[in-house]
Amino acid sequence: MPVTDNAVTDNRTPGDLSGSDITGAFKSGTGTRFTRLLGIATIASMALLIVFGLFVSPADVIQGESVRILYIHVGTVWVAYLAFSVTALASAAFLWKRTTSLIWDRIAGASAEVGVLFMALTLFAGALWGRLAWGKFWVWDARVTTTAFLFITYIGYLAVRGLGGSHHQRGRRSAVVALLAVLEIPLVHFSVKLWRGLHQDSSVTDTTKVKLHDQMLFSLFIAVIAFTLLYSWLVIHRQRVMAMQDALDDKGLDYALQQRRDEGDG
Amino acid sequence: MKDIGFILAAYIATFASSALLAVYVLRRGRALAAQLPPQDKPWT
Repeated sequence: MPVTDNAVTDNRTPGDLSGSDITGAFKSGTGTRFTRLLGIATIASMALLIVFGLFVSPADVIQGESVRILYIHVGTVWVAYLAFSVTALASAAFLWKRTTSLIWDRIAGASAEVGVLFMALTLFAGALWGRLAWGKFWVWDARVTTTAFLFITYIGYLAVRGLGGSHHQRGRRSAVVALLAVLEIPLVHFSVKLWRGLHQDSSVTDTTKVKLHDQMLFSLFIAVIAFTLLYSWLVIHRQRVMAMQDALDDKGLDYALQQRRDEGDG
Repeated sequence: MKDIGFILAAYIATFASSALLAVYVLRRGRALAAQLPPQDKPWT
């Protein structure tokens, strides 16, 4: 990427726009009209989740009030699964020769970051619910243990992204890890069927064992919608931040090379 | 409400950490955007 005229003629390093009257124009950030509307929809759905999750939805016959934690637990784990799946798909797109654009790598990275946050929240909410339902914050149950393993795997993925090298090296390296890591999701999901444990099976899709109250089902639906909107908003903004960081890295390197050439010519 | 402390802890942790990440991303975005010309921000 060529050095910008700004950086050379103004004798300033890229990024240093001090004293410039164009600084204000550059400060538009990562927001657009669409992301602002998405943000408003996210806040509104989160408010609805609080109302339904904490006040409208009834207490469970067996679990009592602790069922309210499950609206957070189910919503966040859904987003974590979604995030890690998007990471894998974007990584595959990056590795495919026809679409080797860095935007796929950034979407993969942004999605994994958000996924790790939501997976941590899933484990936290699950631990609180487990204390009330099972009497312990942590049990070495198959579902709980494989979920923790998935969480640690994606922390490793983020660590791999932080290793040195060019942006494309980062992309290739982390894409391979993402495609391997996503194989854990079916293991986590079906662990309750593969191994007998404390963690309950699905209550939404399998209605033969448990019939959810309509308001509980609606609260779960709101939770899934709200966290999906939040995930979308966070990933859009985060991948734009990554794009700007990459652009700044490139310009900084170009400027350093130009300086060395100028020194050589002088 | 029984077990209110546990329930509120789950909700507060979730919303607070999500809000913190959102604020961090927005602030970082504004800081970086101030250093780059519009051609490096195709969404603007």
